[in-house]
Amino acid sequence: MTGKDVLNRRSLLQGGALGAGSAAMLGALNARAQTGGDPIAIGSALPMSGVAAADGAEFRRGLELAAEEINAAGGILGRPVTIHVEDTADMGADIVTQAMQRLIDRHDCSAIINGYNVGTNMVEMDVAADNDVIFVHYNTLISHNEKFLTDPDRYYGCFQGDPPEYWYGPGFLLFLRNLIDTGQWTPPNNKIAIIPSANEYSIVIANAIRDQLAEFGFELSLYETVPFPTSQWGPTLARLRQDPPAAIAVTHFLPQDLAQFMVQFLADPTQSLIYMQYGPSLPAFREIGQEAINGTLYSTVVGCLPDDFSANFRETYRAKHGPTAAFLTGSQTYDGLWHYALSAAIAGGPGAPFDGEQNRRVAEAMRRLIYRGVNGIYRVDLEGQSGYCYPTQIGDPSLGMAHQFIQHQDYREDPKLIAPALYATHDFVMPPWITA
Amino acid sequence: MDIIGPVLVAGLTTGALYALATLGLSLVWGALGMLNMAHGAMLTLGGYAAFSAVRTLGLPPALGVVAAAAAGVAAGALIHLLVASPLARRSPETFQTTIMIATFGVAIALENAILTVYGGQPFGQPVALRGFARVGPVTAPWQNLLIMGVALALMGAVALYLTRTRGGRAIRAVSQNREAAELLGVSSQGVYLRVLALSGGLAGVCGVMVSSITQLSPTLGGDPMLKAFIMCVVAGLGNIPGAIAASFGLAIVEAFVQYLAGARWGFPTLLAIVILVLVWRPNGLFGRAQVQRL
Repeated sequence: MTGKDVLNRRSLLQGGALGAGSAAMLGALNARAQTGGDPIAIGSALPMSGVAAADGAEFRRGLELAAEEINAAGGILGRPVTIHVEDTADMGADIVTQAMQRLIDRHDCSAIINGYNVGTNMVEMDVAADNDVIFVHYNTLISHNEKFLTDPDRYYGCFQGDPPEYWYGPGFLLFLRNLIDTGQWTPPNNKIAIIPSANEYSIVIANAIRDQLAEFGFELSLYETVPFPTSQWGPTLARLRQDPPAAIAVTHFLPQDLAQFMVQFLADPTQSLIYMQYGPSLPAFREIGQEAINGTLYSTVVGCLPDDFSANFRETYRAKHGPTAAFLTGSQTYDGLWHYALSAAIAGGPGAPFDGEQNRRVAEAMRRLIYRGVNGIYRVDLEGQSGYCYPTQIGDPSLGMAHQFIQHQDYREDPKLIAPALYATHDFVMPPWITA
Repeated sequence: MDIIGPVLVAGLTTGALYALATLGLSLVWGALGMLNMAHGAMLTLGGYAAFSAVRTLGLPPALGVVAAAAAGVAAGALIHLLVASPLARRSPETFQTTIMIATFGVAIALENAILTVYGGQPFGQPVALRGFARVGPVTAPWQNLLIMGVALALMGAVALYLTRTRGGRAIRAVSQNREAAELLGVSSQGVYLRVLALSGGLAGVCGVMVSSITQLSPTLGGDPMLKAFIMCVVAGLGNIPGAIAASFGLAIVEAFVQYLAGARWGFPTLLAIVILVLVWRPNGLFGRAQVQRL
């Protein structure tokens, strides 16, 4: 390593990645590197079968596309990247732990970049810490931050590639308040109904909404936990209709169940805005609900932005995998691998498992590199090693991942980004069932 | 009625789906003494068969349902010929245990085959009705009414088949006493084949109905399989009319508990009822104790 190389990396760290394409930046870092070294194994423990298999397939596609592009740019300091996937099927702590350990034992993976796995209690962080590898994931859980803060030195290499789910709560209330303040919506009352399902992700978001209702000038009309999964909404809808709220937040997230909610809700709708979690971002929601979904709102703290910057990614992804491919999901691991690759190149190369010294350098580069990916800005929040959330957590859009609010305005088209204003491509449209 | 209507519609729809899933499972248990763990996977197969028939081949939805039934019949027959029959021949004394494990393996293989062919991306079931029917103060989605209608029609058809036809009487005879039925010239192997094929056909149609209000995914059959097993146990394993009564009764209780106490209490209440029933009547509500001949 020459002094000039170090200088180049240092200047890049100081300048961040802004203004330079990832491939160009990696190409510059690779310019002086010797080509053709040993491949760098990147592992991924994904749900390739079981209930989340559809998302697992998209996460894999995102990784493979990023690997192709990284290798085309010369790999990481001349070494090509190879992807190894282990199936976590129905997920859970035991299966995910074993899958990650296999990736390290069999393939010597320098980093493990997962999509999400549910029901793990963030035990993945222990596998990464015990084996001294870098671990990036999109579980979108506040429990990642909490666990990281118990021992930051042990979990130095564990990164959540997006903001935790907690930010959905205040973000949703802020969004409603903005709609009211800008005159786009006049609520019939100040009541909000919250409908989570029995799982950690859904309940954390529901509680975050419930606990801050008063701060934003709202009150609770119903807090109803439904089973996971649930397709018959009759009893819940009957309870909702007894005290019609101004807005209904369904934090249950399975697309088919949410589509059924809309179909059954429209039999006798209340004058309420309907906000849902995650499921409406998947093609199945539109396919199943069809015209019944028009007007529904959802949001995501991580997802490919519909802007010029990500246009090439979106087009390449759909060209490779067809028009129904969910690039919103694949974009997560795509950005995760690119961020890791750039950071490893800046740090002088990836570290092998148990090479704590080098992997700490890579982790430090990951913390310092503000990465503009197809999902927006990823900047590591040191209080938990997750992404910052804009605008609820941080007011500077150049330092946080946009919490995107999206509306299905016509089920035959892609949904429309309506907030935050800096990124919005369309205006909010009053749902068709609201007549007042 | 404004409030009770949707609750009742939800209860009856769920009950119809439970009954449809339970019917085939109970039939096989009653005739063969076999718990078919692949029943849920056959249900999934039926859902995908209808999807392919309508989306890929462009057939009308009614033929999609026929395709689902045909796929289920074929799967049931193959399970008999390739799994159940050889196991029963080679180890009749351990059949009840080995067949559970073997059909569990079939279920995993079938689920993964579907995953390989169709991918994990969920699809909407094209065999579905849109819109609502208004009957007085009650508004119900047409699809829910279709599910109830199909379930009632199939239950009636199965009842007629079992009571009014030669083949149905043979099934009942073998269920009651296989040796006596064989002495009277009934081919028990032929009956087993028919029962598994019929059960598969019912599962196939059930798969179309379940996926029409959820989605098509390789794990579609898991939840209905669990619920069907619960209904069978409550009614008494192998008791078809009891299983149907239990399906509707428990689904309506579940829906009203969800309305009155909250949605999260529905399934726990259902399980609590199962425990109470089994403590009170270990052979199920309508079941009879089996006499084991030594």
